[in-house]
Amino acid sequence: MNDTYKIARKELREMFRDKRVKFGAFVMPIFLVMMMVQLFGFIMSAAKGATKSTIYFVGMKTDMSKMFETSGMMVLSVPTVEEGKDMIKKDHAKMVLEIKPPKPDGQVIINAFYDPKQQLAQIELSAIQQALNQQNKKALITTLNEKGIPEAAAEQMKLVPQQVEVGTKGAGELIVGFLPYLIVLFAFSGGMSMASDLVAGEKDKNTLETLLITPVSRNDIVLGKVFALSTVCFLSSLSCVVGLFLASVLKTPGSSEMFKDGFGVTPIAVATIILLLLPLVAMFGSLLIAISSYARNPREAQTYLALVNFLVILPAVFSQVIGLTDLASKLWINAVPVLNSANNIRNALLGKTDWLGVGITVGIGTVLAGIAIWAAVYLFNREEVLIRV
Amino acid sequence: MVRTHGLKKHFKDPKLGIKKAVDGIDISAAPGRIFGLLGVNGAGKTTVLRMLSTVIKPTEGTASVADFDVVQDAAKVRRNIGFMSNSTALYGRLTSREVIEYFGTLYGLEGSHLADRMKYVIDKLAIEEFIDRQCDKLSTGQKQRVSIARTILHDPPVLFFDEPTAGLDVVTSQTVMEFIEEARDLGKTVIFSTHIMSEVDRLCDDIAVIHDGVIVATGNPQTMKDLTGEKNLEKAFLQLVKFESGYVSNRTAGQ
Repeated sequence: MNDTYKIARKELREMFRDKRVKFGAFVMPIFLVMMMVQLFGFIMSAAKGATKSTIYFVGMKTDMSKMFETSGMMVLSVPTVEEGKDMIKKDHAKMVLEIKPPKPDGQVIINAFYDPKQQLAQIELSAIQQALNQQNKKALITTLNEKGIPEAAAEQMKLVPQQVEVGTKGAGELIVGFLPYLIVLFAFSGGMSMASDLVAGEKDKNTLETLLITPVSRNDIVLGKVFALSTVCFLSSLSCVVGLFLASVLKTPGSSEMFKDGFGVTPIAVATIILLLLPLVAMFGSLLIAISSYARNPREAQTYLALVNFLVILPAVFSQVIGLTDLASKLWINAVPVLNSANNIRNALLGKTDWLGVGITVGIGTVLAGIAIWAAVYLFNREEVLIRV
Repeated sequence: MVRTHGLKKHFKDPKLGIKKAVDGIDISAAPGRIFGLLGVNGAGKTTVLRMLSTVIKPTEGTASVADFDVVQDAAKVRRNIGFMSNSTALYGRLTSREVIEYFGTLYGLEGSHLADRMKYVIDKLAIEEFIDRQCDKLSTGQKQRVSIARTILHDPPVLFFDEPTAGLDVVTSQTVMEFIEEARDLGKTVIFSTHIMSEVDRLCDDIAVIHDGVIVATGNPQTMKDLTGEKNLEKAFLQLVKFESGYVSNRTAGQ
């Protein structure tokens, strides 16, 4: 039996019995993804509901107010403008409309009172504006028809959105927004809790010396530890996809909104994610072991790990909003560690895998993993791994 | 057989410069005898044992263990030694059986040979009753028995004990000492590091007193007493390491 495998098997056995690993690396990402699906599903439902919400009219109901009723809004009356404003201040109303008498030219001014700090009020304002535009257009077409002018005159330039199918079917935009971030994040933090135990912890508990006295070479020992920790990082990361799958299967209120077109994550996307994760977790696992080998004790290791964690979080966070820029399609983005993996995972989830980008990312990831493995082996082979004081 | 010649270990301290932890020692330990390495804390005993067990490399000098050079044939040396200290811990989330089996495989034991050796150490040290209990849940005495099992599982010809009874109760210490005596009777070469003189009197056939990284006396318990004119080994030891009453306060004042 290979010595590296013996070490890795023992480390994995110990780690899988550790509550920190069970909860931090596996339960946590599954739970977090399921909660985020619920949250985003709820937000989506709420945003849709805002277009069918209640608006208040000053005075008695008019034809105008009935028009809003027919567009699905609930219409109520408020006696005066001041009372309407008061209701807005007390958050009893989001929108109060005051319809002024028609001007001599026939135009009707509608004052819309709302709190600009209320996002729901802004959504309602857009919905009202849309309803009024439709009404204005109808009136204009009627007038044009009466005068024998073609309807096209009312809209000389008409925009007709035509969706172009790019790539295969993918996951929803909201899922794509947060999932790559979590996948990359847990590829690091999934192994973080145990990293300090694996070398610095062994030094602290006096088990490292016993291990170093065995005939197994230090290279085999450190590679076994790297392999075990990278495996935990990998499984922790994939737990995010498991969490997403469970959220789609369980059909909770939030998930039904998020997965109305199905699970969305294709087998090709999963395979691409795995391909991208392999060098990434090898790099993270080695980096974590290198830090643990350098530190005097677990507390010192935790301090270094917390700092390095920021270096992972920053590009991972940027991957959440990369869709708002044109950087996602740039070739050089595939050379930026961590961000390249997150961006290509994003593309894979959208069903638009960029194989050149994946290739560059895997290539660069493999080189960096090699450097990190070398660093871990070097630091573990120093005498200071045991006696640094 | 364990031999050293002019063995040195110097550490670079960023603040204090070069620290001579061990500065040229010559010792020779024979099979079937217990060699005691005596010294106060910080004298260099553990550093010597670490060099002999190949965990750290000597700065200068040579050492051989079981006829293998500690630098040139480090892996062969490690295959032929067992190492135990009172501070050596076990893997808390593994059971006693898993710990013993794990170290057995690391020493290259497999299949029926591994099973036979495991049965031998488990029976010998009466580990059966807690063999499947996680090490975190064992008492200190039980942990020490598992540590001994791990140390002798591969039947090494050379055994190192670095203060193996420090901090243990009388009963557990007795188990450890009986085990050391048995190892000697089985013809093993035993190197025993300690500063507990009653244990030295009971166990050691040969001794070397190490102080500030150098050997200040060699012989056996009786020659140490004869050399210093003391009837008590502890007093003989204190004289050899130049202990004086008020030593600490004088030294502090001198600094």
